[in-house]
Amino acid sequence: MKGKELLAQLHEAASSPKKQLEKYLAQGKKVVAVAPVYTPNEIIHSMGLVPMGVWGADVEINEAKKYFPAFICSIMQTALELGIKGEYDGVSAIVIPSLCDSLKCLGQNWKYAVKNIPFIPMTYPQNRKPDYGKKFTKAGYARVISDLTIATGAQFSEFALAESIKVYNEHNAVMREFAEIAADADITAAARNDVFKSAWFMLPEEHTAIVKKLNEALKAGPKAKGKLRVLVTGILADSPSLLKIFDENGVKVVFDDVAHESRQYRTDVPDMENPVDAMAQKFADMGNCTLLYDPDKNRVDYIVEQAKAHKADGVIVLMTKFCDPEEFDYVPIKRACAAAGLKHLNIEVDRQMVNYQQAATMVQAFKEMF
Amino acid sequence: MFTLGIDIGSTTSKAVILKDGREIVSSSIVIATVGTDGVSRAIDHVLEESGLTKEDIAGTVATGYGRQTYEGADFQVSELTCHALGVHHVCPDAGTVIDIGGQDAKVLSLNGQGRMVNFVMNDKCAAGTGRFLDVMANILKLDISQLEVEAAKAVNVVNISSTCTVFAESEVISQLAAGTDIPDLVAGICQSVATRVASLARRVGIKEQVFMSGGVARNAGVRNAMAKELGVEIQYHPMAQLMGALGASLYAFDKKK
Repeated sequence: MKGKELLAQLHEAASSPKKQLEKYLAQGKKVVAVAPVYTPNEIIHSMGLVPMGVWGADVEINEAKKYFPAFICSIMQTALELGIKGEYDGVSAIVIPSLCDSLKCLGQNWKYAVKNIPFIPMTYPQNRKPDYGKKFTKAGYARVISDLTIATGAQFSEFALAESIKVYNEHNAVMREFAEIAADADITAAARNDVFKSAWFMLPEEHTAIVKKLNEALKAGPKAKGKLRVLVTGILADSPSLLKIFDENGVKVVFDDVAHESRQYRTDVPDMENPVDAMAQKFADMGNCTLLYDPDKNRVDYIVEQAKAHKADGVIVLMTKFCDPEEFDYVPIKRACAAAGLKHLNIEVDRQMVNYQQAATMVQAFKEMF
Repeated sequence: MFTLGIDIGSTTSKAVILKDGREIVSSSIVIATVGTDGVSRAIDHVLEESGLTKEDIAGTVATGYGRQTYEGADFQVSELTCHALGVHHVCPDAGTVIDIGGQDAKVLSLNGQGRMVNFVMNDKCAAGTGRFLDVMANILKLDISQLEVEAAKAVNVVNISSTCTVFAESEVISQLAAGTDIPDLVAGICQSVATRVASLARRVGIKEQVFMSGGVARNAGVRNAMAKELGVEIQYHPMAQLMGALGASLYAFDKKK
């Protein structure tokens, strides 16, 4: 299959999650929704369930306003809105982690607003690296396993988890390879996003098979020329209107530090005797993310290092509106970019954007600076 | 060589014709914008004033909010780049440009060669823009041009919210009900715009000289409040509102020479 056809397949999955849900349900599988940003998908998968991402959508918020204040992340608000409106009907449960204050609110609100889809909390420790932190993480996994069994009847086994870990680690590797190949390949920002977004709505083994072929096709295909090379950072970068602006202005995403994209695939589950211990170790090993406690703010240096490694001309920060953790990180990122001689652009984004004129002007002006 | 710059803003259409990238031959400001005959009127006016025809124009650049809608341009360039070029032309030592237009505010940082090296734009909000002043002038039953005169008479400047036009509007109505003097209110309104945009400017970093462009720059009340807020002298040019069109014309010259 040619690269274009593979991308079309991934675009279809990325743009029609409902169809994907119906497909899996028709196959007799049970689907578990997973909220941003990190959930133990390996565990869900090992229990024979299909984890599917729930990152909201670009829709008008009406019902969710009964539960949320106005000044809160629109990813959370639209996820709840879709839940209330029955868009996720058929899903057996939703796992919502405790990684930020807004997510904690989403979990609590979900419990009351979407009664037909049980809420399963995944409570992570703030200090994830020490032994007591890993023990806490394991307790969180135990709660998820227990609640999944209650919600779906599915059983957990360490053997199955070890197998699922292999599947996920392979997917991670393939996605990392894709990110590297896409840095130079002639692929649009929109198509690049489709590859990441579709992963949230497909079983990892199915997605791996397609992306493997795509990587080969992209390797053999033409390289991008004459583009402004940028590293994109933020929580989410899936707005078709915004990605179109990138493409129209010749802005090429050569790497990302986006929570919805590459941040998911950086860390593998290590090879350990007990797979649950290994899962907790993976969480401990993760880093360079706004939502993972790091007093040294290593993410800042990581962004600059990756921008240089991928020969980026500049950095585009897609600032999710009302995301306090990302806003706290912005100042050191801005300073680090300036110190490294990297031009940067900050665009505020949310799920409620209708008019992209200002973003278009900013992107065009950014390009004109080079 | 004659070049034409057209700045299609959110409330006005501006046009400038330059000769050889140096001499301003004619300029026009029409209070009408995208979707109206404002752009063609501005162009007709500069052609008529200069005695030129469309055929005499070697290059045309469109900028501003409506730049993509004007089909007669050779290039469409962002208003940020054009303001940087225009301001550098009239004020070569400008290090910071504060452009407050009808619908948004921008702050540009320029290097020594007049090249934009960084910028910020306001968020999606009318506070700190020309629209804010329009709304307030309307409540006070004043023409927008009277704000400057009234602000100069202020004795006790009233503090007005700089975070939201709607909140500020109700604050102004409350102050009117309480019998506050109009000049004190107007000065507070100008101060509100300056406070809002100054916080934007600090994000980029203030590098002297600081130049104000855009329609709001014509208002000395806002300019003075901005100078006080930032603690620097504000540079101004009578053609401040035309900096985008001037920059567009300069860009056209640069591309066609």
